[in-house]
Amino acid sequence: MKLNRRHLLAGATLITAARPGLSRAAKEPIRIGVPTALTGPYGDLGNQVKRATDFAAEAANAAGGIDGRQVEVRYLDTEGRADLAREQGEKLALSGYNLLMSTIASGEGLAIGPQLLRWNAIYISTINKADDITGKACNRRMFRVNHPDSSDVAVVQPWLKQQKQRTWAIQAGDTAWGHNSGMSFSRAAQEDGRSVEAEQYSPFGTNDYAPYIQKIVDSGAEGLWVALAGRDAITFAQQARQFGLLDKVFTAGVSFIADNQVKTLGDAAKGIVGIINYSSTLDTPGNQAFVAAWQKKYPGTTPTNFEAEAYVGTEVLFQAVKKAGSVQPADVGRAMEGTTFATIFGGALLRKEDHQLMTPNYFGYVGIVDGVAKPIINMTVAADVAFPPPNGSCKLAG
Amino acid sequence: MLIQILNGLVYGGLLYVLAVGLVLIFGLRRVVNFAHGSLFMIGAYVGYTVTAVAGFWAGLIASVCVLTAIGAALDRFVFRPLQDEDPIVTMLVTFGLLLVLEDAARTIWGKEFLTVQPPAILSGVVHLAGTSFPVYRLAVIGAAILVAGGLSLWLRFSRVGLYVRASSVDPLTTGMQGVDTDRLSAMVVAIGAGLAGLSGTISAPLVALSPSMGGSILIDSFVVVVTGGLGSFTGAFIAAMVIGQLHNLGVVFVPAAASMIPLVLMVLVLIWRPGGLVKAGA
Repeated sequence: MKLNRRHLLAGATLITAARPGLSRAAKEPIRIGVPTALTGPYGDLGNQVKRATDFAAEAANAAGGIDGRQVEVRYLDTEGRADLAREQGEKLALSGYNLLMSTIASGEGLAIGPQLLRWNAIYISTINKADDITGKACNRRMFRVNHPDSSDVAVVQPWLKQQKQRTWAIQAGDTAWGHNSGMSFSRAAQEDGRSVEAEQYSPFGTNDYAPYIQKIVDSGAEGLWVALAGRDAITFAQQARQFGLLDKVFTAGVSFIADNQVKTLGDAAKGIVGIINYSSTLDTPGNQAFVAAWQKKYPGTTPTNFEAEAYVGTEVLFQAVKKAGSVQPADVGRAMEGTTFATIFGGALLRKEDHQLMTPNYFGYVGIVDGVAKPIINMTVAADVAFPPPNGSCKLAG
Repeated sequence: MLIQILNGLVYGGLLYVLAVGLVLIFGLRRVVNFAHGSLFMIGAYVGYTVTAVAGFWAGLIASVCVLTAIGAALDRFVFRPLQDEDPIVTMLVTFGLLLVLEDAARTIWGKEFLTVQPPAILSGVVHLAGTSFPVYRLAVIGAAILVAGGLSLWLRFSRVGLYVRASSVDPLTTGMQGVDTDRLSAMVVAIGAGLAGLSGTISAPLVALSPSMGGSILIDSFVVVVTGGLGSFTGAFIAAMVIGQLHNLGVVFVPAAASMIPLVLMVLVLIWRPGGLVKAGA
């Protein structure tokens, strides 16, 4: 028999009909875009985000995907800069990676927020702490799964009441989060009858903290509150230790005793206390499974706070995609509002009013575990206390 | 206030040791070397690696030696072949080198921040004006004075120093007088890179090491070089000391504008004296 085009067409139709899997297009993958700081003073934080997101995506794909969808992740470097975050976020969103997550600096998240509708994207904050993300700059397409500054303040207030130091100094970064945190601590201290003798904000990427340290010494403050992260936190702690400041002035902070920073500082961090947003020692079933899987993939390590927060972002996103049955950003966003998600912290509600995920928050100190300096939790604040009700500043637009 | 002045001297001293390398390289090769920040960074990492094995002083020496060798190679394989090209070409190549070296550091030493402890003999504090001041910071001031004094003596009183000064003012005429300017340039670029290595290791106990650490301090160093006068050794010293003080006093008195002050100074100096504070070669 001579083969002609008609025979070929008929054959192809038969094969297709016999194997329905071939006729149906595979489900659209979950495309996650991560515009994050892979270099610069926040480079270490961005690389922690990358490690956790890769971990979540690989685990999901190895288990056959999420609701039959493969997970694809693309990263672009923002250097921790708001202008670059906006640029890289746009590139990712317009190339189809429109489920955006995990910038580092709050200014980056705030720069991305207003563009989401135009880009047809959503953004999930996993690291940004400025209250405005879920406050006056909130919008229908922006979500947060990590602890904002207001939650950290809710932890600080009861802790501060137990402290004997009456005079305080504040050292924070000259960033949206730094100012937010500094002002919140200042307000909390003053409401508790304490005085703030020095309040200073150092530029992002400062190399020499000596003049700031000397001003803290000159202020005569008994306590020091530090809101610095990444390279800034390490450089400050190193120089403050050399000046003898950390031995003389009781030091506490937020993001200051993050796992990797403590690991780098070693003994220099010993005795510092602060807010700990996550610890690998949490005894929830979800966290135990997460830590076990993490240690299998990265032997000899435990997940850091930033890695865990980025991972929670993927947990929420995957469950929302499953619930929505779609990867369209608007559908996924709707599926997130008012939903309770299974997370490593346990069940957590993503509040409808301001798109904030409510999880417990913690306070602790740097101690030595198995010869290694680590943040250790000594106070847990339940989610309903750690997250005061929305104050009405968030009007979900967009 | 004495402590803040000392702090200004420390920062100024660090800037000087880094910036004078830029001045040397610009003076002889007429190259605005963007890779200088990454040489500083590689110097810090080499110092870190050797310090972990053989102590701080070995780290310091190793860093200077390794960076001097890198500088000699940089001149032989990059600056010399490009010397007749448009300066913008060489500048872009050095910018590319900066990115390559940052990625190389990321591959070799990883992405996590690293720290170096000062040597035991320079640890601790001394009590000055009723307050504590780290001994290591005093040593940084001492190192900057030694570098400034040593370079000054070498440039003023040695035959090679004379050639360097002559070549930085007029390389063509210097070459016509029988001076091998290529060899001279190779030596000077090697010394400039060695100084970047020295400043990297000296800075290591003060800052967190990261592959991008050279970027921000390089900008301050360029401000020093441009304010002092491109190619002027004395100008670099004066500008570094002034900028070190302004940086500190700015934080004390006008914190909101502190990071802007050195840039404002540079603009004012360039309006007043477009060639910088001191003429090239001085």
